[in-house]
Amino acid sequence: MTDLEDFKTRLKIAKSKLDKNNLKKTSERSIFLGNAFKLGTELVAAVVVGTIIGFILDSWFDTKPILILIFFLFGAIAGIVNVIKAAKRMQKK
Amino acid sequence: MATNPMHQFHVYRIGPEINVVGVDLSFTNASLFMLISAILILILLLFSTKEKKLIPSKIQLISEMLYNFIAKMISDTAGKKAKPYFPFIFSLFIFILFCNMVGMLPYSFTVTSHIIVTLTFAIFIFIGVNILGFVIHGFKYLKIFVPSGVPVILLPMITIIEIISYLSRPLSLSVRLFANMMAGHTMLKVFGGFVISLGLIGGWLPLGFSVALTGLEILIAFLQAYVFAILTCIYLNDALNLHH
Repeated sequence: MTDLEDFKTRLKIAKSKLDKNNLKKTSERSIFLGNAFKLGTELVAAVVVGTIIGFILDSWFDTKPILILIFFLFGAIAGIVNVIKAAKRMQKK
Repeated sequence: MATNPMHQFHVYRIGPEINVVGVDLSFTNASLFMLISAILILILLLFSTKEKKLIPSKIQLISEMLYNFIAKMISDTAGKKAKPYFPFIFSLFIFILFCNMVGMLPYSFTVTSHIIVTLTFAIFIFIGVNILGFVIHGFKYLKIFVPSGVPVILLPMITIIEIISYLSRPLSLSVRLFANMMAGHTMLKVFGGFVISLGLIGGWLPLGFSVALTGLEILIAFLQAYVFAILTCIYLNDALNLHH
Protein backbone atom coordinates (compact mmCIF):
# COMPACT_ATOMS: atom_id res chain seq x y z
CA MET A 1 0.00 0.00 0.00
CA THR A 2 2.87 2.36 0.85
CA ASP A 3 4.16 1.81 -2.65
CA LEU A 4 0.86 3.10 -4.06
CA GLU A 5 0.79 6.09 -1.71
CA ASP A 6 4.31 6.93 -2.76
CA PHE A 7 3.33 6.67 -6.40
CA LYS A 8 0.33 8.92 -5.82
CA THR A 9 2.44 11.76 -4.46
CA ARG A 10 5.01 11.36 -7.21
CA LEU A 11 2.25 11.47 -9.82
CA LYS A 12 0.84 14.61 -8.25
CA ILE A 13 4.21 16.35 -8.36
CA ALA A 14 4.80 15.32 -11.97
CA LYS A 15 1.34 16.52 -12.98
CA SER A 16 1.84 19.92 -11.36
CA LYS A 17 5.07 20.32 -13.31
CA LEU A 18 3.34 19.73 -16.63
CA ASP A 19 2.54 22.83 -18.59
CA LYS A 20 -1.13 22.17 -19.29
CA ASN A 21 -1.64 25.08 -21.65
CA ASN A 22 1.21 24.12 -23.91
CA LEU A 23 0.11 20.49 -24.02
CA LYS A 24 -3.40 21.46 -24.97
CA LYS A 25 -2.15 23.79 -27.67
CA THR A 26 -0.06 21.13 -29.43
CA SER A 27 -2.90 18.62 -29.46
CA GLU A 28 -5.30 21.27 -30.72
CA ARG A 29 -2.89 22.28 -33.45
CA SER A 30 -2.72 18.74 -34.82
CA ILE A 31 -6.53 18.55 -34.81
CA PHE A 32 -6.67 21.78 -36.84
CA LEU A 33 -4.19 20.33 -39.32
CA GLY A 34 -6.37 17.23 -39.63
CA ASN A 35 -9.39 19.42 -40.30
CA ALA A 36 -7.52 21.32 -43.00
CA PHE A 37 -6.72 18.06 -44.78
CA LYS A 38 -10.37 17.08 -44.54
CA LEU A 39 -11.85 20.11 -46.27
CA GLY A 40 -9.99 19.94 -49.58
CA THR A 41 -11.06 16.45 -50.52
CA GLU A 42 -14.66 17.00 -49.35
CA LEU A 43 -15.02 19.66 -52.02
CA VAL A 44 -13.48 17.63 -54.84
CA ALA A 45 -15.07 14.26 -54.07
CA ALA A 46 -18.63 15.60 -54.40
CA VAL A 47 -17.86 17.09 -57.82
CA VAL A 48 -16.42 13.77 -59.00
CA VAL A 49 -19.39 11.78 -57.67
CA GLY A 50 -21.86 14.22 -59.24
CA THR A 51 -20.14 14.00 -62.60
CA ILE A 52 -20.04 10.20 -62.49
CA ILE A 53 -23.77 10.06 -61.70
CA GLY A 54 -24.45 12.44 -64.60
CA PHE A 55 -22.33 10.33 -66.92
CA ILE A 56 -24.15 7.11 -65.95
CA LEU A 57 -27.60 8.69 -66.28
CA ASP A 58 -26.59 10.14 -69.65
CA SER A 59 -25.66 6.77 -71.04
CA TRP A 60 -28.91 5.31 -69.67
CA PHE A 61 -31.23 7.90 -71.17
CA ASP A 62 -29.10 8.76 -74.20
CA THR A 63 -29.08 12.50 -73.50
CA LYS A 64 -25.35 12.83 -73.84
CA PRO A 65 -24.22 16.30 -72.80
CA ILE A 66 -27.19 17.57 -70.78
CA LEU A 67 -27.35 15.49 -67.58
CA ILE A 68 -23.59 15.40 -67.11
CA LEU A 69 -23.57 19.22 -67.09
CA ILE A 70 -26.49 19.45 -64.67
CA PHE A 71 -25.05 16.87 -62.29
CA PHE A 72 -21.63 18.48 -62.45
CA LEU A 73 -23.24 21.65 -61.11
CA PHE A 74 -25.15 19.67 -58.49
CA GLY A 75 -21.89 18.04 -57.50
CA ALA A 76 -20.19 21.39 -57.11
CA ILE A 77 -23.05 22.61 -54.91
CA ALA A 78 -22.91 19.41 -52.88
CA GLY A 79 -19.19 19.95 -52.39
CA ILE A 80 -19.77 23.43 -51.01
CA VAL A 81 -22.53 22.06 -48.78
CA ASN A 82 -20.08 19.42 -47.51
CA VAL A 83 -17.51 22.05 -46.63
CA ILE A 84 -20.08 24.22 -44.85
CA LYS A 85 -21.28 21.20 -42.86
CA ALA A 86 -17.72 20.30 -41.89
CA ALA A 87 -17.00 23.90 -40.89
CA LYS A 88 -20.14 23.99 -38.75
CA ARG A 89 -19.09 20.77 -37.05
CA MET A 90 -15.70 22.31 -36.28
CA GLN A 91 -17.28 25.41 -34.77
CA LYS A 92 -19.44 23.30 -32.49
CA LYS A 93 -16.31 21.97 -30.86
CA MET B 1 15.01 1.87 -62.58
CA ALA B 2 15.42 2.60 -58.88
CA THR B 3 15.51 6.34 -59.50
CA ASN B 4 11.97 6.29 -60.85
CA PRO B 5 9.92 7.82 -57.99
CA MET B 6 6.87 5.75 -58.93
CA HIS B 7 8.73 2.46 -58.84
CA GLN B 8 8.16 2.11 -55.09
CA PHE B 9 4.41 1.64 -55.68
CA HIS B 10 4.91 -1.36 -57.92
CA VAL B 11 2.96 -4.44 -56.80
CA TYR B 12 4.56 -7.77 -57.66
CA ARG B 13 3.88 -11.38 -56.89
CA ILE B 14 5.77 -13.28 -54.21
CA GLY B 15 5.77 -17.05 -54.54
CA PRO B 16 3.47 -19.10 -56.76
CA GLU B 17 0.52 -17.81 -58.70
CA ILE B 18 -2.78 -18.65 -57.00
CA ASN B 19 -5.78 -18.55 -59.27
CA VAL B 20 -9.26 -19.16 -57.84
CA VAL B 21 -12.08 -19.25 -60.42
CA GLY B 22 -10.36 -16.75 -62.67
CA VAL B 23 -9.49 -14.37 -59.83
CA ASP B 24 -5.83 -13.74 -59.13
CA LEU B 25 -5.32 -14.28 -55.41
CA SER B 26 -1.53 -14.48 -55.43
CA PHE B 27 0.48 -13.35 -52.45
CA THR B 28 2.02 -9.98 -53.31
CA ASN B 29 4.34 -7.55 -51.61
CA ALA B 30 1.22 -5.60 -50.57
CA SER B 31 -0.15 -8.66 -48.78
CA LEU B 32 3.24 -9.21 -47.19
CA PHE B 33 3.35 -5.71 -45.71
CA MET B 34 -0.25 -5.93 -44.50
CA LEU B 35 0.72 -9.16 -42.78
CA ILE B 36 3.80 -7.52 -41.26
CA SER B 37 1.68 -4.64 -39.91
CA ALA B 38 -0.87 -7.03 -38.46
CA ILE B 39 1.81 -9.13 -36.80
CA LEU B 40 3.51 -6.04 -35.37
CA ILE B 41 0.19 -4.90 -33.90
CA LEU B 42 -0.37 -8.33 -32.39
CA ILE B 43 3.11 -8.40 -30.89
CA LEU B 44 2.77 -4.89 -29.43
CA LEU B 45 -0.65 -5.45 -27.91
CA LEU B 46 -0.01 -8.98 -26.63
CA PHE B 47 3.34 -8.02 -25.18
CA SER B 48 2.08 -4.83 -23.54
CA THR B 49 -0.93 -6.48 -21.91
CA LYS B 50 0.92 -9.56 -20.71
CA GLU B 51 1.57 -8.16 -17.25
CA LYS B 52 -1.34 -6.14 -16.07
CA LYS B 53 -0.04 -3.86 -13.35
CA LEU B 54 -1.90 -1.12 -11.53
CA ILE B 55 1.08 1.13 -12.09
CA PRO B 56 1.76 0.48 -15.78
CA SER B 57 5.16 -0.23 -17.24
CA LYS B 58 6.23 1.88 -20.20
CA ILE B 59 5.00 -0.58 -22.83
CA GLN B 60 1.72 -1.12 -21.02
CA LEU B 61 1.32 2.64 -20.97
CA ILE B 62 1.48 2.76 -24.77
CA SER B 63 -1.45 0.42 -25.23
CA GLU B 64 -3.40 2.14 -22.45
CA MET B 65 -2.83 5.50 -24.13
CA LEU B 66 -3.99 4.08 -27.46
CA TYR B 67 -7.10 2.70 -25.79
CA ASN B 68 -7.87 5.99 -24.03
CA PHE B 69 -7.23 7.98 -27.19
CA ILE B 70 -9.73 5.99 -29.26
CA ALA B 71 -12.27 5.69 -26.45
CA LYS B 72 -12.23 9.46 -25.94
CA MET B 73 -12.50 10.11 -29.66
CA ILE B 74 -15.54 7.84 -29.97
CA SER B 75 -17.34 9.27 -26.96
CA ASP B 76 -16.59 12.86 -28.12
CA THR B 77 -17.83 12.44 -31.68
CA ALA B 78 -20.43 9.67 -31.61
CA GLY B 79 -21.64 9.59 -28.02
CA LYS B 80 -22.37 6.71 -25.69
CA LYS B 81 -24.35 4.69 -28.22
CA ALA B 82 -21.21 4.09 -30.27
CA LYS B 83 -19.46 2.21 -27.47
CA PRO B 84 -20.13 -1.26 -28.98
CA TYR B 85 -18.25 -0.24 -32.13
CA PHE B 86 -15.05 0.49 -30.24
CA PRO B 87 -13.28 -2.71 -31.40
CA PHE B 88 -13.95 -1.90 -35.04
CA ILE B 89 -12.73 1.70 -34.85
CA PHE B 90 -9.73 0.67 -32.78
CA SER B 91 -8.67 -2.03 -35.25
CA LEU B 92 -9.22 0.31 -38.18
CA PHE B 93 -7.15 3.09 -36.64
CA ILE B 94 -4.30 0.93 -35.48
CA PHE B 95 -4.10 -1.00 -38.75
CA ILE B 96 -3.95 2.14 -40.87
CA LEU B 97 -1.47 3.70 -38.45
CA PHE B 98 0.82 0.69 -38.61
CA CYS B 99 0.55 0.38 -42.40
CA ASN B 100 1.51 4.05 -42.71
CA MET B 101 4.35 3.76 -40.22
CA VAL B 102 5.76 0.55 -41.69
CA GLY B 103 5.69 2.32 -45.05
CA MET B 104 8.02 4.98 -43.63
CA LEU B 105 10.84 2.45 -43.26
CA PRO B 106 13.31 2.44 -46.16
CA TYR B 107 12.81 -0.33 -48.74
CA SER B 108 9.33 -1.05 -47.45
CA PHE B 109 6.02 -0.80 -49.26
CA THR B 110 3.20 1.53 -48.25
CA VAL B 111 -0.03 -0.42 -48.47
CA THR B 112 -2.22 2.65 -47.94
CA SER B 113 -0.70 4.43 -50.96
CA HIS B 114 -2.93 2.31 -53.20
CA ILE B 115 -6.46 3.52 -53.82
CA ILE B 116 -7.82 -0.02 -54.00
CA VAL B 117 -6.86 -0.62 -50.36
CA THR B 118 -8.25 2.64 -49.00
CA LEU B 119 -11.37 2.45 -51.17
CA THR B 120 -12.05 -1.04 -49.86
CA PHE B 121 -11.87 0.27 -46.29
CA ALA B 122 -14.12 3.19 -47.15
CA ILE B 123 -16.75 1.17 -49.03
CA PHE B 124 -16.79 -1.42 -46.27
CA ILE B 125 -17.46 1.36 -43.74
CA PHE B 126 -20.04 2.99 -46.01
CA ILE B 127 -22.04 -0.22 -46.50
CA GLY B 128 -21.77 -1.09 -42.82
CA VAL B 129 -23.00 2.32 -41.70
CA ASN B 130 -25.92 2.15 -44.14
CA ILE B 131 -26.99 -1.29 -42.91
CA LEU B 132 -26.74 -0.02 -39.34
CA GLY B 133 -28.83 3.05 -40.11
CA PHE B 134 -31.58 1.04 -41.78
CA VAL B 135 -31.59 -1.61 -39.04
CA ILE B 136 -31.89 0.98 -36.26
CA HIS B 137 -34.22 3.53 -37.89
CA GLY B 138 -35.94 1.55 -40.66
CA PHE B 139 -37.04 3.65 -43.60
CA LYS B 140 -36.91 6.76 -41.42
CA TYR B 141 -33.16 6.65 -42.10
CA LEU B 142 -33.90 8.14 -45.54
CA LYS B 143 -34.77 11.34 -43.68
CA ILE B 144 -31.09 12.32 -43.70
CA PHE B 145 -31.58 13.24 -47.36
CA VAL B 146 -34.43 15.63 -46.49
CA PRO B 147 -33.26 18.44 -44.20
CA SER B 148 -36.01 19.97 -42.10
CA GLY B 149 -37.24 23.52 -42.74
CA VAL B 150 -36.73 23.56 -46.49
CA PRO B 151 -39.41 25.04 -48.79
CA VAL B 152 -41.28 22.41 -50.84
CA ILE B 153 -40.21 23.93 -54.17
CA LEU B 154 -36.55 23.50 -53.33
CA LEU B 155 -36.98 20.01 -51.89
CA PRO B 156 -36.19 17.91 -55.02
CA MET B 157 -33.01 19.85 -55.68
CA ILE B 158 -31.86 19.76 -52.07
CA THR B 159 -32.50 16.02 -51.95
CA ILE B 160 -30.33 15.42 -55.03
CA ILE B 161 -27.57 17.55 -53.53
CA GLU B 162 -27.80 15.71 -50.22
CA ILE B 163 -27.64 12.34 -51.99
CA ILE B 164 -24.55 13.38 -53.95
CA SER B 165 -22.98 14.73 -50.80
CA TYR B 166 -23.74 11.46 -49.03
CA LEU B 167 -22.35 9.32 -51.85
CA SER B 168 -19.16 11.38 -51.95
CA ARG B 169 -18.25 10.25 -48.44
CA PRO B 170 -16.47 7.00 -49.27
CA LEU B 171 -14.64 8.67 -52.14
CA SER B 172 -13.37 11.59 -50.10
CA LEU B 173 -12.45 9.25 -47.25
CA SER B 174 -10.37 6.98 -49.46
CA VAL B 175 -8.86 9.59 -51.76
CA ARG B 176 -7.62 11.64 -48.80
CA LEU B 177 -5.61 8.80 -47.30
CA PHE B 178 -4.34 7.47 -50.62
CA ALA B 179 -3.37 10.85 -52.07
CA ASN B 180 -1.56 11.98 -48.95
CA MET B 181 0.45 8.80 -48.66
CA MET B 182 1.29 8.59 -52.35
CA ALA B 183 2.23 12.26 -52.73
CA GLY B 184 4.39 12.18 -49.62
CA HIS B 185 6.30 9.08 -50.63
CA THR B 186 6.80 10.29 -54.19
CA MET B 187 8.15 13.59 -52.87
CA LEU B 188 10.55 11.80 -50.52
CA LYS B 189 11.84 9.70 -53.39
CA VAL B 190 12.23 12.72 -55.70
CA PHE B 191 14.28 14.60 -53.12
CA GLY B 192 16.30 11.43 -52.48
CA GLY B 193 17.01 11.30 -56.22
CA PHE B 194 18.20 14.93 -56.16
CA VAL B 195 20.74 14.06 -53.48
CA ILE B 196 22.27 11.40 -55.75
CA SER B 197 22.22 13.44 -58.93
CA LEU B 198 23.61 16.65 -57.39
CA GLY B 199 26.41 14.73 -55.73
CA LEU B 200 28.74 15.80 -52.96
CA ILE B 201 28.64 19.51 -53.76
CA GLY B 202 24.98 20.36 -54.26
CA GLY B 203 23.37 17.39 -52.56
CA TRP B 204 23.27 18.80 -49.04
CA LEU B 205 20.23 21.01 -49.53
CA PRO B 206 17.92 18.24 -50.82
CA LEU B 207 19.29 15.98 -48.09
CA GLY B 208 18.14 18.52 -45.53
CA PHE B 209 14.77 18.66 -47.23
CA SER B 210 14.56 14.88 -47.15
CA VAL B 211 15.15 14.82 -43.42
CA ALA B 212 12.52 17.51 -42.82
CA LEU B 213 10.05 15.75 -45.12
CA THR B 214 10.53 12.47 -43.29
CA GLY B 215 9.46 14.19 -40.08
CA LEU B 216 6.46 15.70 -41.83
CA GLU B 217 5.55 12.34 -43.35
CA ILE B 218 5.54 10.65 -39.95
CA LEU B 219 3.19 13.37 -38.69
CA ILE B 220 0.95 12.88 -41.73
CA ALA B 221 1.01 9.10 -41.31
CA PHE B 222 -0.42 9.52 -37.82
CA LEU B 223 -2.77 12.34 -38.77
CA GLN B 224 -4.31 10.49 -41.69
CA ALA B 225 -5.01 7.42 -39.57
CA TYR B 226 -6.62 9.76 -37.03
CA VAL B 227 -8.71 11.57 -39.65
CA PHE B 228 -9.86 8.26 -41.13
CA ALA B 229 -10.94 6.99 -37.72
CA ILE B 230 -12.64 10.22 -36.65
CA LEU B 231 -14.60 10.46 -39.91
CA THR B 232 -15.74 6.88 -39.43
CA CYS B 233 -16.96 7.97 -36.00
CA ILE B 234 -18.82 10.93 -37.53
CA TYR B 235 -20.54 8.71 -40.09
CA LEU B 236 -21.39 6.26 -37.33
CA ASN B 237 -22.84 9.14 -35.34
CA ASP B 238 -25.08 10.13 -38.27
CA ALA B 239 -26.39 6.57 -38.50
CA LEU B 240 -26.91 6.13 -34.76
CA ASN B 241 -28.36 9.52 -33.82
CA LEU B 242 -30.65 10.74 -36.53
CA HIS B 243 -31.09 14.48 -36.05
CA HIS B 244 -31.90 16.11 -39.32
